[in-house]
Amino acid sequence: MKYTNPKIPEGINVSQIHPLKELILLSSGALAVIALLAFVIGWTSGYLALLIPFEKEADWANSIEINSDGPTELHQYLDRLASRINRALDIDEQDMAIKLYYNESRVMNAFAAVGGHVVIYRGLLEKLPNENALAMVLAHEIAHIKHRDPIVSISRGLAISSLSGLLLGSTSVSDILGKTGIYTILKFSRDMERAADLAALAAINRIYGHTAGAVDLFKMFSKVRDQHTLANQPEFFQSHPLDESRIRQITIAAEKQGWQIEGDITPLPAQFGYWLQLGVTQK
Amino acid sequence: MLDLIIILSLLILGYLFGHHAEKRHYASIIKREDDLRTLLITGSRFPPENQHYNQMLVMGSTVISVDYFKRFLAALRNLFGGRVTSYESLLDRARRESILRMKFEAKSLGASFVFNVKYETASISKGRRNSIGSIEVLAYGTALIPLDGE
Repeated sequence: MKYTNPKIPEGINVSQIHPLKELILLSSGALAVIALLAFVIGWTSGYLALLIPFEKEADWANSIEINSDGPTELHQYLDRLASRINRALDIDEQDMAIKLYYNESRVMNAFAAVGGHVVIYRGLLEKLPNENALAMVLAHEIAHIKHRDPIVSISRGLAISSLSGLLLGSTSVSDILGKTGIYTILKFSRDMERAADLAALAAINRIYGHTAGAVDLFKMFSKVRDQHTLANQPEFFQSHPLDESRIRQITIAAEKQGWQIEGDITPLPAQFGYWLQLGVTQK
Repeated sequence: MLDLIIILSLLILGYLFGHHAEKRHYASIIKREDDLRTLLITGSRFPPENQHYNQMLVMGSTVISVDYFKRFLAALRNLFGGRVTSYESLLDRARRESILRMKFEAKSLGASFVFNVKYETASISKGRRNSIGSIEVLAYGTALIPLDGE
């Protein structure tokens, strides 16, 4: 028998499946499973978070000190407005105490945190055209508190990120799959924002008899956002619905409920701009 | 969203470059296998009987690295299990290249035969976070060099 090294056919030790097909198959499978898991975990942890009594939440939050800037007149004005909004939202101040804080930094934002704390920044207050828009902002944040959104968001985020950390480890693939969990959380967040918008709309309609301030507010946001191009990502990647979407939602809701969309605008107090400039330590 | 775009671009780049490099490498391997076909190798431990040769240890080694695309695919496979097909072609090329280098070394020594050929595979940098960085395949055997005058 003669010994030879003949030419061996190719492809014996490699698989014939095309790598791109395999990539699409595996990644869509993984994304579907993770998205489903994140949705279920998010929903369950949100449900459980609602069972935490508000008093407990307030106790935990009260250990954190929040500074409040600005003159007393501004705080009195904001607190008076907040009381009217609380009544319009049927919030019993004994059960759920809303605490308003004003921060003099130029950030254009306002947020609701756990324990009934609402922080509003000078950057946002400066841009508000009238009291109706201010009421809409405050009502939106207070509605978040009423719906218990802060504690629910925190619980959801915690549950999803700790579970994805456990299951996926930390390779580059798990970064992407972890982001699927985050995008699921963002979907929940957008739903919360829409619910807060609707509740706030009802509140300002009760107070002023019409909803004129609300659209003004979102139009103002839209204008400011157009000046910063990086902010215009698709809605899928954002925690809030797009401005056009929010305007559409409140217009449709107002029409359905038969609320007036136009009406007499209540201006901000004359000294409002002055209050915002008083004793400002940062630019 | 920016990091998604970055990852997607890395994947596309990895796939295109990796695919191109692999095709070129296979073409080179097949050509050199044809060139070196006359130098016989075997895994058997027994040299040809009743003949005398000078013997030398010869070896060929190759270090190959994974591209981003293959690594991504392998990480997905780690979730679901099954054949890690993206690494299969990598190892196939590394093995054949190592054999070719060993044959080349044997041929340079004037050998006509290499027997008792074995392989060893080692992973070089384990890479960050437990992913394989690069692998080395070593092929070695005993080369039989005809005695002078035969």
